[in-house]
Amino acid sequence: MISLYIKMWRDHWKSLLSWTLVTITLVSIQMSVYPSIAKSGKDFETFLENYPDAIKKIFRMQDYTTGAGFLSTELYSMMIPLVLIAIGATWGASATAEEEDKGTADILFSFPLSRTRIVVTKILATISVITLVGIVAAINIIVLRNLVHLTIDTAHLFSATASCIAIGLFFTSVAFVCGSLTSHKGASLGIATGVSLILFLIYSLEALVDTFDSISPFNPFNWGLEGNALFEGLDLAGILKLSFSSLVLLIFSVVYFNRKDIRSQ
Amino acid sequence: MSTASSPSIALHDLTKFYGKNRGIRSVSFEVYPNEVFGFLGPNGAGKTTTIRTLMGLIKATSGSAKILGINALNSHHQLRKEIGYLPGVFSTYSNYTASEFLHFVARMRKVNCTATINEYAERLNVDLTRHIHDLSKGNRQKVGVIYAFMHKPKVLFLDEPTSGLDPLVQREFEKILNEAQARGASIVLSSHVLSEVENLADRIAIINEGEIVVVERISVLKEKALRSIDLYFDSPMNATQFAGVSRLRDIFVDGELVRCTVTGSEYELLKRAVEHGVVTVHTHEPSLDEIFHEFVKVGKPQ
Repeated sequence: MISLYIKMWRDHWKSLLSWTLVTITLVSIQMSVYPSIAKSGKDFETFLENYPDAIKKIFRMQDYTTGAGFLSTELYSMMIPLVLIAIGATWGASATAEEEDKGTADILFSFPLSRTRIVVTKILATISVITLVGIVAAINIIVLRNLVHLTIDTAHLFSATASCIAIGLFFTSVAFVCGSLTSHKGASLGIATGVSLILFLIYSLEALVDTFDSISPFNPFNWGLEGNALFEGLDLAGILKLSFSSLVLLIFSVVYFNRKDIRSQ
Repeated sequence: MSTASSPSIALHDLTKFYGKNRGIRSVSFEVYPNEVFGFLGPNGAGKTTTIRTLMGLIKATSGSAKILGINALNSHHQLRKEIGYLPGVFSTYSNYTASEFLHFVARMRKVNCTATINEYAERLNVDLTRHIHDLSKGNRQKVGVIYAFMHKPKVLFLDEPTSGLDPLVQREFEKILNEAQARGASIVLSSHVLSEVENLADRIAIINEGEIVVVERISVLKEKALRSIDLYFDSPMNATQFAGVSRLRDIFVDGELVRCTVTGSEYELLKRAVEHGVVTVHTHEPSLDEIFHEFVKVGKPQ
């Protein structure tokens, strides 16, 4: 099992390294902007007050000049969740569907391991990689926060990280389900990222479109982001909703994969 | 091969449908320890479907299959420790070197095969340090052969194993296969190279359009198959002189030469020929290729 876990990291190390560097770069660039925002202080607040309410809602611009508000708007309401979704969906779609696409599934699933064990190992590898990138982003902020004089509660920061990881996990699970159902990496990745972007758009625009209000209670972005973990601390209810629904999706994916015919070339 | 022992592989009415499409229907055969079992059929006949069903890669619609006495259709993954499998299209992790791939396989099977890997690599003349994506088709297939044999399995499913191998390497492959047979392995060999199956297999099954047409020893099949016989006489002959000879299929007379085909015993034909003063007899043994084509074209011969 550990050999397969290591293999998955090895197979994706270049993409993982790229995503980690992208995350570090994005976080660093955003953090470098903060001193000028903080310096403007009251002027910036006044400027933002003139923004239409709709725009402020779309970009979650709550207390923008504070550390929590700035990080929420610039990183934790969009950037970091989307990066984690991209990584999770790529790994999830590759886990079984790419093996079937490339014809290596005949090798992998003829090892003396149950299909459940193989898929669960791949799920664990994917969860650990999105957790790692989420933590790297948080540590990056901790390292830079004194440098840019940004005040943020460490516990709140890790709480927001946990929410983002839970969102990433949800769409990872969607990718695993699609991989099981379609046996095609491209289709699985397309569906998982497509669904996430549509739901994110709905989440962003719900302040403007009344019809979207009925979707909000079921939107994973609402579950993960509405708790405002950077301001309020750990949003256990949101994380549990995301974790439970991910678990249901992952169980479905494993059960379905166990029963299906593995595609050959 | 000893049929007195219990079979290592036993299929009974194994059936697989893909929706409404035909896969395989009521496939039954047994393979014994120390046996190489040839599994023949045209493309799309159901050979790969049968093997992949036995490997648990696809789910059977009905029927049963036991390998080493264990139900092979019930996700008995531990059973796969004892099985060597070479898929018809050997696609593997191309970003690995051959050595990295084979050692990964060994770790997944929880066995230490370093010595065997090195031995087979030397015998098959494959450079294990090269990346799989840099290897030619033949060299990739050699890696596949090592992958299938390296853990000395009790059961082997080899789907077109010599595809892409040059004749010298094929000979070495045959030696490796014979060694596995000698140590008691049961080997199912699916191949298009009928001469290879003829050399290696004790018995064969021919599958056509998803159904088994025949399971038999090659020697028995040859005995039953149509044989072409040339009879030379010292005077011109005519076909009526052979009227009523049983098992005679076709007859062609050209002066002193009588060319005919028979199935089964040649006794009556030869008796009649002696009565008419036959001088020379030439019998052409049917090749497995001829037998195969006969079965696939017309089904079981009389």
